[in-house]
Amino acid sequence: MVDINLSQPPFSLLDDKGRQRVRDGVDLAYFTESEIILDAGQRGECVFLIHKGEVAELDLNASEGDRRIGHYTAGDLFGAISILNGTSRYRFQAEQESLCYLLPRALFEDICQAYPAFDDYFRQHLAEKARYLLERRAEGGLSMARFMLARVSECMRDPLLVEARTTIAEAVTQLRDGHADSLLVGHAGRYGMVTKTDLLDALVQQGLPHSAEVGGIAHFTLVTVHADDYLFTALVSMTRHEVARVVVMEGDRPVGVVELTDVLGYFSSRAHAVSLQIEQAEDIEALTRASARLPQLIQTLMAQGVKLRFAMELLAALNGRIIHKAFRFLMPEERQSQSCLLVMGSEGRGEQILKTDQDNALILADGSDWPEIEASMQKLTETLGALGYPPCPGNIMVSNPQWVASESAWRGKIARWASSRDPDALMNLAIMLDAHAIAGNAGLLDGLREHLFARGSHDELLLSYFARGVLRYSTPLTLFGTLKRPEHGIDIKKGGIFPIVHGVRTLALERRIAPTSTFARLDALVDDGRLDRPFADDLGEAMALFSELRLRQQLESLETHDTSLEPNRVVVQRLSGFERDLLREALHTVKEFKQRLSQRFHLEY
Amino acid sequence: MIKALRRAGDRRRQSGGHHAWRFEPYAGSEVIALDCETTDLDPRQADLVAIAAVKVRDGRVLTSESLDLRLQRPDSLSSDSIRIHGLRGVDLLGGEALGDALNTLLDFIGNRPLVGWCIDYDVAVINRHLRPRTGFDLPNRTIDVCRLYARERRRAQPDVEPDLRFEAMSEALGVPVMGRHTALGDAVTTALMYLRLCRGQAASA
Repeated sequence: MVDINLSQPPFSLLDDKGRQRVRDGVDLAYFTESEIILDAGQRGECVFLIHKGEVAELDLNASEGDRRIGHYTAGDLFGAISILNGTSRYRFQAEQESLCYLLPRALFEDICQAYPAFDDYFRQHLAEKARYLLERRAEGGLSMARFMLARVSECMRDPLLVEARTTIAEAVTQLRDGHADSLLVGHAGRYGMVTKTDLLDALVQQGLPHSAEVGGIAHFTLVTVHADDYLFTALVSMTRHEVARVVVMEGDRPVGVVELTDVLGYFSSRAHAVSLQIEQAEDIEALTRASARLPQLIQTLMAQGVKLRFAMELLAALNGRIIHKAFRFLMPEERQSQSCLLVMGSEGRGEQILKTDQDNALILADGSDWPEIEASMQKLTETLGALGYPPCPGNIMVSNPQWVASESAWRGKIARWASSRDPDALMNLAIMLDAHAIAGNAGLLDGLREHLFARGSHDELLLSYFARGVLRYSTPLTLFGTLKRPEHGIDIKKGGIFPIVHGVRTLALERRIAPTSTFARLDALVDDGRLDRPFADDLGEAMALFSELRLRQQLESLETHDTSLEPNRVVVQRLSGFERDLLREALHTVKEFKQRLSQRFHLEY
Repeated sequence: MIKALRRAGDRRRQSGGHHAWRFEPYAGSEVIALDCETTDLDPRQADLVAIAAVKVRDGRVLTSESLDLRLQRPDSLSSDSIRIHGLRGVDLLGGEALGDALNTLLDFIGNRPLVGWCIDYDVAVINRHLRPRTGFDLPNRTIDVCRLYARERRRAQPDVEPDLRFEAMSEALGVPVMGRHTALGDAVTTALMYLRLCRGQAASA
């Protein structure tokens, strides 16, 4: 009679008779809002199946923020694990008025016994849940847990197997060809290990000839692990046996080797692994795969609490390597020395966090002849698009012939921009100032930048026009110095990031400072005496805070695939009190910086 | 008043018999939600088609301990009532004899209080068939969810006449209708409404 839907797992694992038993055996219970259904430590007396309502699972030992570990709604089942464990580890609390079916303990256990598949379902669930919770709880967040839960098979490399008769000379060749540190020696069904150190010892210490057999120097007592073991176990046994590698055995056959460096690489948020993948990429496809791992890498780094500035630097370096490689794959050798590929804008400053648009340009050495250049550049733009760098909406790309020119033509352009001082020209100058050579002959850019500094750094009129951009957007602070709180959020890019970046860029032009990253420029400006150290630090911190707030929104929209989330808009009301204070302080720093620039470049009028 | 007198009379008459304990006041915490399907809406003419009862204990509806009785086809079974409860003549083949069913019911409910939606009607129909056989009416205390609900609503909104229809009540109380016009379904729904009303009072108090 009871209106209970038993067509879902785990009940679908029962036959009609079993389902009828469930139907006959269940009771109904009604819980008011915030009523505790099953408290932590309480004996599990029944399995709850929610008919209507919502139930939260709370971990009482966790801090206030992450108490809620589970959420159940209509059709979900909870309490089974409490029965299997004896007592409930967590508190189940009704979030809304809830109506639940109760399957009594005795009946549940009977059914579990009668239907092994039903039983398995819950035991499996238990294991999965434990894994999930371990991930959540592990110190250092997600990434740490991922490492802890990684299996040996995810990190092992193929073994290099040789015969015992192989000579040392051959072994060395094999090691070099395989980029490996160790060899496995098979001899009469047993396996031994020969490492580079062993070979050195044999050659230098024992004075063996190159033609000696490796069978004589191999160690036949191996430290082994299983492919399904946790990577952590491998690390532990390495530590325990004081070795740098373990052999992965399946039965009595070696299937792989785990090197200590690999484990540590895996551990260090796999930054190393990604860069290795980029370096090893032999074609565009391999590069695309490596490039696709970058967002995840950044997420991991942020979860580990790596300072944003360093994460950005790392990412800029990796992006640089990717573009560099793409350029090398596509362009013939002789063209590479004749030209210089520039990245500009935020990428040039090394400040983009997730992948940004491709802002790039090309300088050609004077006198070089490259008739098919347009087609090549078109191809480069398309390839970068495939690598995950969307085209620039302002069309500042090498596929646009305006941004491909010879050295002397570039000089002419810069001179024209500097004298005309109209908004477009000023923007182009700003873009050019942030340019960073990424592939080809970097000397071409250095020459051009020298020219730019020579033209611009003493031109007070140009500097004043240039600096005026800082005042374009108002700082989102009220008259009384508190944060403005519009409902749609404040624009952190216009109100915070842009004034700092542009102001620092202006000062860099004035003081002829070559580095392009805002942080590096700030350091250089302090050394130059243009800014005092505390204020430069404040600006740097403010910049980092803005970027971090922005990154967080970007990651969020990446995770939820919610494109409606405007990454530059920070809704003040959603920040914690502490973050709000930080943001307010940072915006005050921006305001002060604007005032200093106004005085220096006479922007008041 | 008449009911009370009648009950006192019943009690005196039964004082020596094996039904005497039914007249003792109930001391436990269980109640029985009861619902009948009948052939007519007039208790003076209605015959029983199905009776269902379900225990409620400690805030739980014990559907595993429920009673669902189908009776033999009464003569008055008409197409009008079949349209409502969906029990056709053939569905009642193999149903229980009325006397046996009433005995089972009596044993099931004991002296526990009875809860129902317009419980007076169900009790009246049962009594009409019970009295000739055993010589007494159901002595159990009755709780009408309709009245509980009306009282609560009037307290909350004195100006609005509460809607006491079964579906309207269950919707207002946020209780799912389990299987309308099946005796056990209505009994379970009633039991849920009762729990909801009890909890509501506890929460607002």
